[in-house]
Amino acid sequence: MTAAGGAPRELIVFRDVHKAFDGKPVLRGMNLAVTKGEILFIIGTSGVGKSVTIKHLVGFLRIDSGEIWFDGKRVDQLDERGFYAVRRRVGMVFQNATLFDSMTLAENVALPLRKHKKLRHTSALAEAMGRLEQVYLTGFTDRYPAELSDGMRKRAAIARTLTMEPEVVLFDEPTTGLDPVNARRIDRLILELSRSLGVTAVVVSHDLTSIFSIADRVAFLYQGQVHAVGTPDQLRASADPILQQFIQGQSSGPMETPGF
Amino acid sequence: MKLVIDSLFGRITAIGVYVVGGVRATFELWMVFVGTIAGIWRMYGRRGASRPTGALVEQLHIIGNRSLLFITVTIGFIGMVMIYQACLQFSRSIGDLSQVGVQFVRLIISDFGPTLTAMMLATRVGAGIAAEIGSMKVTEQVDALRMSGVLPVDYLLVPRFLASIIMTLALSILGAAIMYGAGGLTAYLSFGVNPRIFFDLSFVQPRHVILGLLKALAYGAAIPIVSGFCGLRARGSSEGVGWATTAAVVGSSFAVISLDFFLSVGALWLLKGDL
Repeated sequence: MTAAGGAPRELIVFRDVHKAFDGKPVLRGMNLAVTKGEILFIIGTSGVGKSVTIKHLVGFLRIDSGEIWFDGKRVDQLDERGFYAVRRRVGMVFQNATLFDSMTLAENVALPLRKHKKLRHTSALAEAMGRLEQVYLTGFTDRYPAELSDGMRKRAAIARTLTMEPEVVLFDEPTTGLDPVNARRIDRLILELSRSLGVTAVVVSHDLTSIFSIADRVAFLYQGQVHAVGTPDQLRASADPILQQFIQGQSSGPMETPGF
Repeated sequence: MKLVIDSLFGRITAIGVYVVGGVRATFELWMVFVGTIAGIWRMYGRRGASRPTGALVEQLHIIGNRSLLFITVTIGFIGMVMIYQACLQFSRSIGDLSQVGVQFVRLIISDFGPTLTAMMLATRVGAGIAAEIGSMKVTEQVDALRMSGVLPVDYLLVPRFLASIIMTLALSILGAAIMYGAGGLTAYLSFGVNPRIFFDLSFVQPRHVILGLLKALAYGAAIPIVSGFCGLRARGSSEGVGWATTAAVVGSSFAVISLDFFLSVGALWLLKGDL
């Protein structure tokens, strides 16, 4: 990261970001840089601000102070219309898949094609079919989300995000609530995206198996700041007792967890 | 003394926060309305604009067709009770029931028909809109729409807004007819009022019909705007959706009654009291 004030070299940079909800601080001077093409995992306990962090990048939340940079441009001051340009390049896979209940899988996937790429309904649907095939959902294109399993919905949500061919994909707990087989399939999809298409992936997760199998780097969020950042091996080898408590999932230790 | 001043200061601050919150909410409500009007142009005013397929027809069905039985039954009963009470009072006071139908048809057309129909729609349609949009908000579907390049107002509110206007107009006309018919039947069966005398439309003027239609138009616009606004403000989880639904029913009903008052006062002022 460059010195404060100038445009950074990295693809995404969070610089001294503060965010509070109803007076309760969540992010307290968070600094984080994401390099192009990497798979970066943001980990930490529930409520520490992992999802909050990534939602700032696409304008769903507004920071109280600090800076957010994307590809050399400051984005934290953009208005809703300004964020549309960012959202064309940055996709997001939500925690609960968030497919639109009233649309079939194909219509769900076709929607961003119609809006962002201005395709006609029939051509958007045709392209959506291809995208669903990529995530192994060929036989389910005319089904409604309620008729499908969690894993299928997640895969469809990923297909919807990929329609825009984004440079960056933000995954909000992509494997939470999935069985181990489906969870590893999602991991494989993320890895394929990164390695074959060069997509930068920022993954919010608690899933230690995912973290240690596909992450290039891991940022550990604690008390509103990035407490530690490094490769999975570096984090595993770290002597930091707070980090070790999280990685090993110990209920008691130096980590302060609100509510316990 | 310091305690009293602190307490007073605390209360003034609380009132200030409440007022600021109210002003902000009113501004946001207005922006939702303006955004919806602009959304109609974005969705339907331009050739080749991307529209949700069949959304308007679906909403017409949900708001209109599915409310038909509810409106028919409730408005029918209200008409019966109202005319029964009117006949009872007329028979006790002046004993002449020939004016009941003539007087009440004007009231039904310019006020009770659209207002009571809209009150019923505010509960059924308002709650439905707020619950659906509120659920989408708390499950991040609204954010997913924004990620897909869609303004949530365009996809969620515009079809409901148009469908509500069309169906409130249609159901108000139907509601007024049912109320009048049910009232006439009650007057005939309970008090022996001749239907030919009761169903006398000669005193109905175009201004009564215009006022009734204007009210229906205003109610049809207000219900989805207030309810959609409440749905979009839902936060948290199911509790937030519950709050949004309650607020939508209260807010829509309040909007209907307030609009009724202001439109009636406006009409009286314009017509110099000759309504």
